[in-house]
Amino acid sequence: MSRRPPRGEYIETDTGNKVARKANLVGTQNIMLGGKTVIQPEAMIRGDLARSIHPSSSSSGAAPGSNTAVAIGRYCFLSRGCCLRPPGRLYKGAFTYTALRVGDHVFIGPGSVIQAASIGSHVHIGANVVIGELAIIKEYVKILDGTVVPANMVIPSFSIVAGQPARVIGELPEGGHEAFELRELYKTVGNNPQPAPS
Amino acid sequence: MSSSSSKRHSILPPISQSGPKPPVQFSSSITIADSALLTGSNPILISSESVIHPRARLDSLSGRITIGRRCIIHERSTLGAVGTSGRITDKAVALGDYVTVEVGASIEAGDTVIGDGTTIGVGAKVGAGAVVGRNCTITARSEIKAGEVVEDNVVVYSNGMRRVDRRGVAELRNKGQARQIGVLRMMIPSNPAKFQ
Repeated sequence: MSRRPPRGEYIETDTGNKVARKANLVGTQNIMLGGKTVIQPEAMIRGDLARSIHPSSSSSGAAPGSNTAVAIGRYCFLSRGCCLRPPGRLYKGAFTYTALRVGDHVFIGPGSVIQAASIGSHVHIGANVVIGELAIIKEYVKILDGTVVPANMVIPSFSIVAGQPARVIGELPEGGHEAFELRELYKTVGNNPQPAPS
Repeated sequence: MSSSSSKRHSILPPISQSGPKPPVQFSSSITIADSALLTGSNPILISSESVIHPRARLDSLSGRITIGRRCIIHERSTLGAVGTSGRITDKAVALGDYVTVEVGASIEAGDTVIGDGTTIGVGAKVGAGAVVGRNCTITARSEIKAGEVVEDNVVVYSNGMRRVDRRGVAELRNKGQARQIGVLRMMIPSNPAKFQ
């Protein structure tokens, strides 16, 4: 068996995802990556906790690929040691996990644990943040380091959130969303990283 | 679409089973993931219908670890950690029934007791010798210091604030936990033979 000699730290896919070999992805068949997403070492995604109850509308035997547990958009950045897991809840008396959906240009800081129901696009989550089960985070939100977002909280757009438990402590200025773009950060990691533009 | 290919198994790196293999006593109905980490030299007891998620770490180096019935130990949590206050005793950690230890929580070794129906939140830390009562909730990133006592039905939140939970939903919570375990048993491939 011939193996290409240099084995980089990352696996780079055709769609531009950069997945560290040391990332812990469980249940990869239920994880969808939109492309250009970076998953750093020791990040963990629990794709095995997929929905166990299917909505009766699509009862005709769900196709194997449709049972997505974690869906991530483009240009997301999952830092070292973060953990994404689908939230669980009791629904009509039965327990089920529901999908975790993440938009585009979402930065997730090191050591953060995300159990949200959905995260919009252009969201910055700092280091060691805990997002409780079934929280909903809308577009353009900044969550500072060490925040604990309680379960079921809904964070509106243009908020700055901090605290334990989390509170909205400020507003993002309009038109400042350029700062959330992660294209430059994406280029700085991988098997042949480029230096960050100063 | 990229990493959804079912052929790519290389993504999950092997677990380095370091240290001695502890003597274990499992009930036949438990669910323990293949990639859970059990180390140490003292016995680890897990009672019926408990679930150990992948990458949970049970370390019995500083004493015996006992896990009650229908407990859920989530990924990356550590039971019997030495940490800052851990010490060597006969019983390192004892969990009651219906205990949930969430992602990345750490329970240090040294006669630490967690009562029935208690939830230890994400990233929370329980010091050595702490005694947490029944049906408590230790919210995410809270810290119980070594030797501290938490009464029954207490909620610890926001850097050590406390209040008493008077909702009386313990019974319902236990029922929910049983349902959750039913689902997890189907989802997590169990491999208790690996540890025996």
